[in-house]
Amino acid sequence: MRRRLVELGCPVAHVRRLVQEVADHREDLKQAALSEGLSGADAELSANTKLGDPLDLAEQLMVALRRSSWWGRHFLIGFCLLPLLAVPVLWVLLLFLGLALAFALGYGWDVQKLHVAAASPVPFHHLVIAAHIADFVAIALVTLLFCGLARRSAVSLKWMVTACAVCSLYALFTRFHLEPHSFMLGIAPSPQWLRAAVPLLIAGAVYAFHRRTIQGFHENVLG
Amino acid sequence: MKKTNPSFLNGVPELLVLRLLSRREMYGYQIVDEIRTQTRETLSFGEGCVYPYLHYLEAQKQVSSQRREVDGRNRNYYKLTTRGGKRLEELTSEWKRVTAGVALLMEGQHA
Repeated sequence: MRRRLVELGCPVAHVRRLVQEVADHREDLKQAALSEGLSGADAELSANTKLGDPLDLAEQLMVALRRSSWWGRHFLIGFCLLPLLAVPVLWVLLLFLGLALAFALGYGWDVQKLHVAAASPVPFHHLVIAAHIADFVAIALVTLLFCGLARRSAVSLKWMVTACAVCSLYALFTRFHLEPHSFMLGIAPSPQWLRAAVPLLIAGAVYAFHRRTIQGFHENVLG
Repeated sequence: MKKTNPSFLNGVPELLVLRLLSRREMYGYQIVDEIRTQTRETLSFGEGCVYPYLHYLEAQKQVSSQRREVDGRNRNYYKLTTRGGKRLEELTSEWKRVTAGVALLMEGQHA
């Protein structure tokens, strides 16, 4: 049961608790059988029979766990649609927060100084670099966020990979373009392979971490 | 996975668990045993199946749990929260409405 729960993506802390409770229940069943006059071996057998197939139980526990969160109940919206919206929103937020910080630190909220700087190509070049960094950070953060949400809500690995793929497709086919006093976000004329690689790399790392967790759990707990 | 309840019985396990916990705090085995005993074995949970419901209810903040030792045994004790109490009122009212409707039909009374 423990193995199946981990394989199904149940968070390790939750696995421990579930297994502990089922073990407590089994002990209660055994004690009840003993008090009815059954022998030790028969009481064990009776407890196991009443408890049912551990694999079925693990599946039911996972269904309940998924149902208990919004992300587990609305995985299509949560892991297909929301990442598409989250990346540009986070990018704009990061960019404007960064600009506000630069404005505050570099120009002391002096609009006149900012206008002078905006006419100079050097600060604009810095702004373009900052926008690119914000873009990559937004893609990476959103991918990580949705991987974390998928793990926490115990939806299958499939939905975690889906969220990464959606982020990757978004990164592949969109781009932004900055000009003095304007910026544009739209469809890229050619695929943006480097941006698209970021979510895929994160997906690979998360998958490797997941496999390592399962392996480590099996080695440490199951022996 | 085997489905045991038609859709109109969805919510009954939740109702039963919340009702029992409204009387006193209990652990999983006690809940299963009480349901079996108090319904004179008309209804019974599969032995391990109560935990998915309990964990679901806990995630919904309708019950809370605490692990503690009683009579030399460590167990998770569940109790109803305020939110659980409100949910119990809703489910009870819904259950009464459904059973009254079914009773009317069974008795052949209709408008």
